[in-house]
Amino acid sequence: MRRGILLVVLLALLPAPAGARELELGLENFYYGTATTLLNAGNVLGLSPHEDLLRGTLRWREGLGDSVRLVASAYVQRRLGAHAETEWKARQAYAQWSGGELVTVRAGRQRIAWGSGFAWNPTNRVETPKNPLNTSLEQEGALAVRLDMVPSAWAGVTLVAARSDVRGQDLPFSAPQPRRRTGAVRARFLVRDTDLAVVVSGGKGQRSLVGLDLARTLGAVAVHAEGAVYRGAEMEPARDDDHFLRLATGLLWTRGEHLTLTAEYFFNGEGYGDAQREEWLRLLRGSSAVLADPLAPPEARAAAARLYAATADVPFTGGLGLGRHYVQGAWSSRFSAGRWTTNLRAVCALGDGSLALTPGVEWAPRGDLTLTVDAITLLGPEESEFRLAPLRSALQARLKVHF
Amino acid sequence: MSSLLLAALLAAAPPPDPTALLQRAEKTVLGENAVYTLRMEVQRPNKPPRVVEMKGWKKGDDKGLLRYTGPPKERGTAYLRVAASTWLWLPSAEKVVRVGAKQNFGGGDFSNGDIFRLSLSRDYLATLGGAETVEGQECWRLELKARDRSVAYDRVLFWVRQDGTDFPVRAEYYTISGRKLKWLTFTDVGRLGARARPRALVMENALESGQRTELHFLSIDDAPRLEDRLFTTSALERGE
Repeated sequence: MRRGILLVVLLALLPAPAGARELELGLENFYYGTATTLLNAGNVLGLSPHEDLLRGTLRWREGLGDSVRLVASAYVQRRLGAHAETEWKARQAYAQWSGGELVTVRAGRQRIAWGSGFAWNPTNRVETPKNPLNTSLEQEGALAVRLDMVPSAWAGVTLVAARSDVRGQDLPFSAPQPRRRTGAVRARFLVRDTDLAVVVSGGKGQRSLVGLDLARTLGAVAVHAEGAVYRGAEMEPARDDDHFLRLATGLLWTRGEHLTLTAEYFFNGEGYGDAQREEWLRLLRGSSAVLADPLAPPEARAAAARLYAATADVPFTGGLGLGRHYVQGAWSSRFSAGRWTTNLRAVCALGDGSLALTPGVEWAPRGDLTLTVDAITLLGPEESEFRLAPLRSALQARLKVHF
Repeated sequence: MSSLLLAALLAAAPPPDPTALLQRAEKTVLGENAVYTLRMEVQRPNKPPRVVEMKGWKKGDDKGLLRYTGPPKERGTAYLRVAASTWLWLPSAEKVVRVGAKQNFGGGDFSNGDIFRLSLSRDYLATLGGAETVEGQECWRLELKARDRSVAYDRVLFWVRQDGTDFPVRAEYYTISGRKLKWLTFTDVGRLGARARPRALVMENALESGQRTELHFLSIDDAPRLEDRLFTTSALERGE
């Protein structure tokens, strides 16, 4: 990995024709205030009260003639908390070839990024899911081969074969990281000014799904509905014979040059209702109590440790949360000729009233420089979904220079 | 003597068909198909201008694609318009987002509809309002009324030169209540590409004094071969 990233850096330093290269260097600092909660009982994750990540980032895009493009995005990260360590990671590294307007092939680690949903994309189980609490994070790509065919201006087909992580990795701690292999087909149509897409996907380590994605513009408002039906749950219990629906629907409204508002509702059919949630909490409390009991027999402690690990893992499974009903709203305002942008995002778990607030500001003093700072605060009743997270707050700062 | 003769001939000429005149006028800047580069300058009082450079593709009356080529932090952002639909490609999020036609384009005073409304004559019913002198030019005044509510403005006044070039000179945009929102001036007439045309469009905000946005065409190819498949969301994702 490290050698690959160094190779990209070297390639980026070679001369290139004007306009053929895009280069972005960044420096990021993520601060996390951590907490000992039921999902981090007795600080089982070994977190410091304050965890810091310091990152150097690189994005590189290079065109070779009219038909070939190379893209890489990577970072080197140093954890500064209890477990100081350095990590090299390629988020994307792929080559793209285009045969005119008819066909495009991409191979390598890449974002798939399909679906009209903003914070949730039920039809996309191909790549590592985005963190719905923090959509400003750059996502991990999937190791994939992707073929896009455009037989006509109103229809297109995308075929993907991919291997990806099941969970996002933008956490200050290491979580189990199962992988899945996916084959997916997405057929896209433009019918009467409406985007319509049908998705079928399945593979090893995941459920097969059929999805439908609709989007259109109504005056100044763009609306969307993206849903998928599949058999068997991703979260425990498996419920292999049950069918589930996931649906994200929302709108984007813009006023003048300054103001953008988005709102979205997400229904996760396999999410826990009140009774399941109480049972899940009971298992967490019971297993963590045995783990904390120095007088418990070793066999009981081992069994409790297995149960605790499996139970605490549930909210991270699939990256879509624990509950059934969520809403997110976002407000963005630009001023001073676009040099300043202020943002506020809110995600609410309707089942228990927990709330994630993300205010942020971006400053772009020049055409090649941006500084972004945003904060995350998790609010709500004790033992509500977001308050169970082993994080209380976060502050993220990013400086990017574009060449 | 010759100018007097020309004036007399113009005075004697029958008034033009307003729809045909509008169709001719709107093709004078960009023809049926075009590939072009332009610079957009957004000006705000007491602020340095924001300058963006773009490359655009236009095919017929209902397909347009614009990609930002500068400044570096905005490079890769792209807009696609097909009929009444507009999409925005956000390179940082690597996502295609649908946006409304009335949304401001690129943070300036043009709306997406202004930039991509490729056929005024299709969206508006034109009538001839008379002859007037505007910006020092003898012009026909066209009064355009929206055919339906899907377009950004209810009424547009549009002035076209009478000198046979059919160059547009000025346009004013009004709300349904009759309030003037902004006005557009076609300036810097000169040769660009294969022919002469207005090379700059200046949109001024009637509601916010001192706010204006200039579009300067830098190059225009009037005879490109463009496939319909260039104007798809797949092409947006693929990049240039």
